[in-house]
Amino acid sequence: MGKINKSSMRVVQYMRLAFKNLRRRMVRTALTVSGVALAVAVAVSLGGFMLGYRGAIDKSIEMLGFQVMIMAKGCPYEAATMMLKGGTGLLYLPSETFDKVKNDPDIASITPVFVGIAEKEGSGVRDEGSEKTFSIISGIDASSFTVMKPWLKFKQGPGYDGGHWFSTTANKEVVLGFEAAEYEQRKVGDTFYVSITPHGTTHPVQHALTVVGVLERTGTQDDGTVFMPIDAARTYFNRQNQVTILGIKLKEFSAFKMHEFEARWLKLPEVQVVGLQQVKNTLVGLVATAQTMIAAVAVIAVIVALIGVINTILMSVYERTGEIGIMKAIGASRSDIFELIWLETLMICVFGALLGSAAAVLGTGLVEHAIKSLADLGVSGSIVKITPAVIGYAVIGAMILGFLGGLYPAWRAASMRPVEAIREGAA
Amino acid sequence: MLLERCSITCIGKTLMMIVAIFLLPQRAWAAIGCTLTDPAEDLKYLYPEMTSYKEELKEFTRMTGGTVLFASLKDRLGSDLDPIYETYETPYTVYSVFKGTQKMGIVHGVNVPGKGGVIQVFLSMDPTTAEIRKFFFQRLESPAATQLRLKAFREQFEKMTLADFYKHDYYAAVDPHAPADKLGKIKPPALDATTRPDYDASLRGIRKNLILLDFFIYGKRFEPFFEKSKQALQRKNKTKG
Repeated sequence: MGKINKSSMRVVQYMRLAFKNLRRRMVRTALTVSGVALAVAVAVSLGGFMLGYRGAIDKSIEMLGFQVMIMAKGCPYEAATMMLKGGTGLLYLPSETFDKVKNDPDIASITPVFVGIAEKEGSGVRDEGSEKTFSIISGIDASSFTVMKPWLKFKQGPGYDGGHWFSTTANKEVVLGFEAAEYEQRKVGDTFYVSITPHGTTHPVQHALTVVGVLERTGTQDDGTVFMPIDAARTYFNRQNQVTILGIKLKEFSAFKMHEFEARWLKLPEVQVVGLQQVKNTLVGLVATAQTMIAAVAVIAVIVALIGVINTILMSVYERTGEIGIMKAIGASRSDIFELIWLETLMICVFGALLGSAAAVLGTGLVEHAIKSLADLGVSGSIVKITPAVIGYAVIGAMILGFLGGLYPAWRAASMRPVEAIREGAA
Repeated sequence: MLLERCSITCIGKTLMMIVAIFLLPQRAWAAIGCTLTDPAEDLKYLYPEMTSYKEELKEFTRMTGGTVLFASLKDRLGSDLDPIYETYETPYTVYSVFKGTQKMGIVHGVNVPGKGGVIQVFLSMDPTTAEIRKFFFQRLESPAATQLRLKAFREQFEKMTLADFYKHDYYAAVDPHAPADKLGKIKPPALDATTRPDYDASLRGIRKNLILLDFFIYGKRFEPFFEKSKQALQRKNKTKG
């Protein structure tokens, strides 16, 4: 017990001494600590981004409501491009596919979705008019769709009260996602114009529909979607017996079950089965390269900071050659000197790690804004999540680097011969 | 064959499509509020000789006496404000256009609820006389869009000021067929019951835009006209009573 007390008292004394030494060259110490802090801030932000982004993807996929989607075979990339540019080149499945699939014993719930692209007036000031924009129309079966997305709620309050899903037979009713309603400044009971080009024709037909509900914000694509009964959507788009996707939730969602399900339905010539795990991997892949590059920058920053720390401590050791010699001459052992210098390095690294972590936490919003402004990552919500674990890893990492970085300067100082050191110091 | 080959190689692309349709935020819904879509380009189109511009955000919430001013907007507009989309908190962006150091013009837009969607009414104004130089729509989803966007229709509002709108109210009370009533002489495009509401909403948009500019930029210089029209209306109501 007494030994432990003595040992801890010695560490405290060394720490005081190390701190005093660091304070002697305040500017140099501050600059070195800043270098470590910067490297740690980058590493913590990166760690937070990796964690947050994966979390955001999980949330976005969960908010999609489906685990598996069945869609038309073909090359949908061109279709997606066309769609994003306002075209109508989506691929469709025959409705019978839904009848075939819906009785699969592994399915817990299934919903057919018809997606169509409607034209909207563009936004522009020129006399000659502006380019048309588009709006995503989702034809849904409200009863099965809401089973998939139980979190969809109607906005309440003046102008929104009484919001409800349309009946299956309604053909002139729409429910607007939060942002769609805000963008068009629509309320419950208002008219909503939409121009749709029926399949097989070339001219859009404008329809006046009634808004029967406005959804609360979900932070997903649903916020910008216009929902209407699936049969009405099919009629407007003149695709009476077609569907865009079948959204499915399985009773048991595992890789094995998914594989079985996929094998069963891929036999249909017209379909492809897509598990949302694949979508997740695609999204992760989208930023993997960028993440690797940022990680490389973080590693370089850490190495530079470590070199800076070693350099600072070495300079400090050389400046104190005479002092170290005197300490040894009056009884300090090799291990005393080693521990003292090692502790100085460690303190710089720990201070830097704490400062860097604090900067990373405070700058989360800034980092998030910067990442989002640089790239569309396909997810909504927070993408940088700095947890205590991330900070813990950063501090432990900095301590390990401090231990390693301090080895050489500490060994150099501990190896000095007292007489030579005093002579050199005096010179 | 082509389809088969494509379907084999396109699994990744399929996933991209899912991402595009179901996960990516839609850009189409991004801009809420009444700002120019592309200020630099749009202002250059309106003022080809422009060298710079300045954006100024105006909010009743940040103005001294903002609540009183906001309440007076409804009186001057002569119609109720939308409780959700025309609120006290709604921000307004005023663009000042410069040629060197000389202010050439002012551009300002407002949202007004149309029959089937929002209507964005923009005015390009003379900075000194407060006259309309150009009236245009940035967004207009309406069966009447083609007629309302016609240059011939929009040009009728050029050189008009807020005073002409207040004078119209005055003449409506004292002499509905007065030849001096500029607004009364505006020829609306051929409209029916379906398209008329968007014409009315457009006129309301111009008036709202002018009133706000009078508050924000022109130091309420047209207030005497409003007072006069108000008195005329009160007199008329009293006589009726």
